[in-house]
Amino acid sequence: MSTIKGYVRENGSVGIRNHVLILPLDDLSNSASIGVSKLVRGTTVIPHPYGRLQFGRDLDLFFHILSGIGSNPNVDSVIVIGIEENWANKVADEIVKTGKHVEVFPIEGNGDLKTIEKASRKALGMVQDASEKHRTEVDISSIVMSIKCGESDTTSGLASNPAVGVVVDRMIDHGATVMFGETSELTGAEDIVADKMANDKLKEKFMNIFKEYDSIIEREGVDLLGSQPTQGNIKGGLSTIEEKALGNIQKLGHRKVNCVLDYLDPLEKAKDGGTLCFVNTSSAAAEAVTLFAAKGSVVHLFTTGQGNIVGNPIIPVIKITANPKTSSQMTEHIDVDVSDLLDLKISLEEAGERIYQYMLRVMSGRLTKAEVLQHDEFSPIKLYISA
Amino acid sequence: MPKGLIHSKNDNVCILTNDVKKGEEVICAYLENPSEYVIIKSSEDIPLGHKIALSDIKSGEKVIKYGRPIGIATKDIFAGNHVHVHNIKSMRWSKK
Repeated sequence: MSTIKGYVRENGSVGIRNHVLILPLDDLSNSASIGVSKLVRGTTVIPHPYGRLQFGRDLDLFFHILSGIGSNPNVDSVIVIGIEENWANKVADEIVKTGKHVEVFPIEGNGDLKTIEKASRKALGMVQDASEKHRTEVDISSIVMSIKCGESDTTSGLASNPAVGVVVDRMIDHGATVMFGETSELTGAEDIVADKMANDKLKEKFMNIFKEYDSIIEREGVDLLGSQPTQGNIKGGLSTIEEKALGNIQKLGHRKVNCVLDYLDPLEKAKDGGTLCFVNTSSAAAEAVTLFAAKGSVVHLFTTGQGNIVGNPIIPVIKITANPKTSSQMTEHIDVDVSDLLDLKISLEEAGERIYQYMLRVMSGRLTKAEVLQHDEFSPIKLYISA
Repeated sequence: MPKGLIHSKNDNVCILTNDVKKGEEVICAYLENPSEYVIIKSSEDIPLGHKIALSDIKSGEKVIKYGRPIGIATKDIFAGNHVHVHNIKSMRWSKK
């Protein structure tokens, strides 16, 4: 059994980072939020373009994502800034349930400058408090993580994805939780994923989610070549969505999928043993990683062939490649190189071990390259147009 | 040393793990048992990560990788040819 050094939160969840989060409820609150982050060192701000005139399921998903991000175990405390108080409170009330310190600042009736001053005074104290929280040794079974690939090529399906599969198997066997998604990108391999479901109920739920996505694509009457696979995928040798999907699912390892989550479903861990969870997500890198983080993932394994550089403001994204050209041309983005696998110089098991050991270091505090390069892509999934 | 890898026994394509030149004889090893391999002569320059046909694939026939169809040949492909979007297409979402 492995251990890491993490932050144990009030509700027992385990984080591997210790953010004081400045969370704008809506696009209008970005400026004030950024203002606070500039005044107060040690805060993390996540600007975004949404939060006005959304409705229905799309609005629910928006609140789910913002509340989830604030509730993430990598976050110590939160300041929510919103143009008006009601919606800001709605998000704050959810985050408070985790036991975190949360403060809300409405801009209406105050203006940016007064809001920035008041919020900054609170943020100052939060950063000082957070600085006294310390890492303790915790079992890896308490970790919730996620996996996704991007700018994939054929080396992903050959080597980096199956190597991540080795890590996934190991994490599940340790009792940890792993989430995967990329609904549209399972096309051509959806039957294989369905067969990995632990029971018929999960299988049916998964297939319904998959068919919903498929029907959107059918309804739009589009040929997705160039978007799915992407131009980068095609450059790297992937010719069809089926080929991409079969490479994608190499990441899943060999355990049963015992959890299927639609957009709004909260994460439920298995009562005993590990949890392998399908999460309905778009296949766009920043959107998927953001949703995983909102559902509680604290670290993400990201395989790439041609060189995707995505990061996330609150969870470390570990980049893995098996493409030797990408590894040498984009060295500042790649954390783990498993290209030796292509030349059969190492075994799949050894490649998995390389990734696993690196992940343990990141969980205990080592920064990823995406973190150092300030890749703070935060991108809520939007389901449809605003009112 | 192999310059290409084959996912599964029934596959009719090999993934190049190195850039390959026209006329080059490429050793393609089977992932399932790397001591087994086939040698195929490349009819064109093909970059790392792209596919080379291990046998002739007629127009309309399936291209097999991972032991599964990944698309249909849109023209006759000959052993040693580059297999990509110019001569295969998806069986999903495709309007043409």
